[in-house]
Amino acid sequence: MSSIVQVTDLVKRFGDFTAVDGVSFSIEEGEVFGLLGPNGAGKTTTISMISCLLGPDGGNVVVNGHSVKTASTAVKRELGVVPQEVALYPTLSAAENLAFWGRMYGLSGTALKSAVADALVLAGLEDRSKERVEKYSGGMKRRINIAAGVLHKPRVLLMDEPTVGIDPQSRNHILETVKDLNASGMTVLYTSHYMEEVEFLCDRIAIMDHGKIIAVGTLNELRDVVGGMDVVSVSVSDVSDSTLSAVRVLAGVESADSTEGKLTVLTKSSGSILGGLVAALESEGAHVTSVTVEEPNLESVFLHLTGKSLRD
Amino acid sequence: MSRLIHIAVKDVKTLLRDRAAFLIMLGMPLVLIFILGSALGGVGESENIDIPVAIVSQDNGSEGALFAKAIADVKELESVFNIDVRDDFDTVRSEVERGDLTAALVIPGGFSDALAAGDPVTLEVLQDPGSQLTAGLWAGVARAAAANLSAGQIVRLTVTNLLTEAGVPAGAQQPGGGSPEMTFDAVSVKTVEVEPEKQIALIDYYAAGQTGMFLLFGAMFGAFGFVRERREQTLARVLASPASKFDVVGGKSLGILTVGVAQFFVLFLGTTYLFGVDWGPTPGGIIIVGIAEAFAATGLAMTLSALAKSERAIGGIGPTVIMLFAALGGSMIPVDQMPAWMKPLQSISPVYWALDAFLGLMRGGAMSTVMVSVGALLGIGVVLFGFGLWRLSYE
Repeated sequence: MSSIVQVTDLVKRFGDFTAVDGVSFSIEEGEVFGLLGPNGAGKTTTISMISCLLGPDGGNVVVNGHSVKTASTAVKRELGVVPQEVALYPTLSAAENLAFWGRMYGLSGTALKSAVADALVLAGLEDRSKERVEKYSGGMKRRINIAAGVLHKPRVLLMDEPTVGIDPQSRNHILETVKDLNASGMTVLYTSHYMEEVEFLCDRIAIMDHGKIIAVGTLNELRDVVGGMDVVSVSVSDVSDSTLSAVRVLAGVESADSTEGKLTVLTKSSGSILGGLVAALESEGAHVTSVTVEEPNLESVFLHLTGKSLRD
Repeated sequence: MSRLIHIAVKDVKTLLRDRAAFLIMLGMPLVLIFILGSALGGVGESENIDIPVAIVSQDNGSEGALFAKAIADVKELESVFNIDVRDDFDTVRSEVERGDLTAALVIPGGFSDALAAGDPVTLEVLQDPGSQLTAGLWAGVARAAAANLSAGQIVRLTVTNLLTEAGVPAGAQQPGGGSPEMTFDAVSVKTVEVEPEKQIALIDYYAAGQTGMFLLFGAMFGAFGFVRERREQTLARVLASPASKFDVVGGKSLGILTVGVAQFFVLFLGTTYLFGVDWGPTPGGIIIVGIAEAFAATGLAMTLSALAKSERAIGGIGPTVIMLFAALGGSMIPVDQMPAWMKPLQSISPVYWALDAFLGLMRGGAMSTVMVSVGALLGIGVVLFGFGLWRLSYE
């Protein structure tokens, strides 16, 4: 395989704030590349620079040999973009929306008609193609949103958190669609803050935080970062800062963080710390409802690398 | 270029499906023109006006009747007054009180005797307080007639005195033995015929004024569309496609211009055929002015899109600017009734130039007479468009 997207030392600043800070990675043709990170990590800004919506303040992006700095139109022709928001015209029908986006990519005549028909099949909405998009459910809108990004059959598809705020059924449909598109040869850059999606879809993953790439590799390579460690997840009522501090100083605890009633602890010896961990929590007044020990995952990788949970 | 056209077509399609926009851009102006034109249509009509007045004589002699007839026979008054010569004073008075008659000239009893004796006579004009303006016209006619009569009296008495001093017997002084003939030509006035400026009926005026104003509302909805696309990320998605910023700005501007021109044609034809508005003998000129204002409105849309960060902001800024332009431009009150200090401000209003051109053409002016207004509209459009483009944010 060869790199179809090459990102080198990419920088983007907004005033004094550096949203993307020297990001480098490459995407091989035909792979699904995941960009994982919490909200505000810089994923959308990175995608915006790849898709030529924002100009970089430093570094470069090259897509299939075309630089975003010198050949943005050529770059755009290689790409399909599925934005985080549903970017469709609500008073137009699904077919009208798709036809419009097809025309923006230079399709016309029978090629356009065929592409619209295929996109409607992909979205599973061929029976409702003449309805205005404003009448669709959230999941249906998301599906048309994706269809609009791929109907011109781009070589590289950029998907920015395409499953935010939708029901599980639509989410599964979208994930399966991404798998199918990749199976047909489309290269995909997929950003998300849901580690399960990234684990399910991606051949390689870059973990991003505070505008920087902190790790890149396959799922197994990233798991090896925390090789030999277990993840202890504790469902607990209200974890205060003092409780968290008490846990972090326990013997055997590598790192710990909490979010939304869940305490995550990274340890090399889960068996020896469980008793002390529960006792420490109880003594701090926290009520433990369940404790599970899991294999290392991207959550634990992120915790290990940053000392905080992915959903912080 | 084809992307530009596709963006314009899409914008026209989405705007035509916006019922609220449709209502404000077409429904409201037609309703307002109808209401304003109907409510105020009695004044300013281009046809002859017909003010009902009366002359009532209480004189028992012949002079009163002669005086009344002399006024009623003046042809120049026929196009303004419907003069009824009466002798029933009480009935005439009640008709004036009820407003059935606008005014009445009362010739008092003893009028003939007083004239013969050279005594002063007072004529009375009864006026309807609710029609002071038109009743005042009638009072003016009465004063002119009285002045004429006084001049005749002075001449007659002077001649009589001279003849008496010369020893001519009184019986020989007036061979006819009667009163001198009443005329209105004691003082001759030379009149120069000029081409009369066509008066514009109020419904015509408001058709032009409201069209001028509501074309700008089309611009507001164009700006709404731009800002909405920015918020809903469709603008970013278009820019992520091979479409350029030129395609986006050009397409959206073409869409707004197309909608504005279509809106103008609907209002132009609608007011012509629904309300009988007379846009004058140069429809081609009217259309050019309409297109020029739609261009200015497109520039305004671009400026609003640049200034407003949200649709809510446009909802605040847009109507404020448009109403200001409309008020300065004469959509609400005719510009000649505005204070002098306001006149320099009027030139910034596209409504002023559009209305000026529309009215000029309605009065029968040639296309060449409104080229300054058309140029001003195009200039305003270029300035607003340029400012909008300079300040426009795509994110």
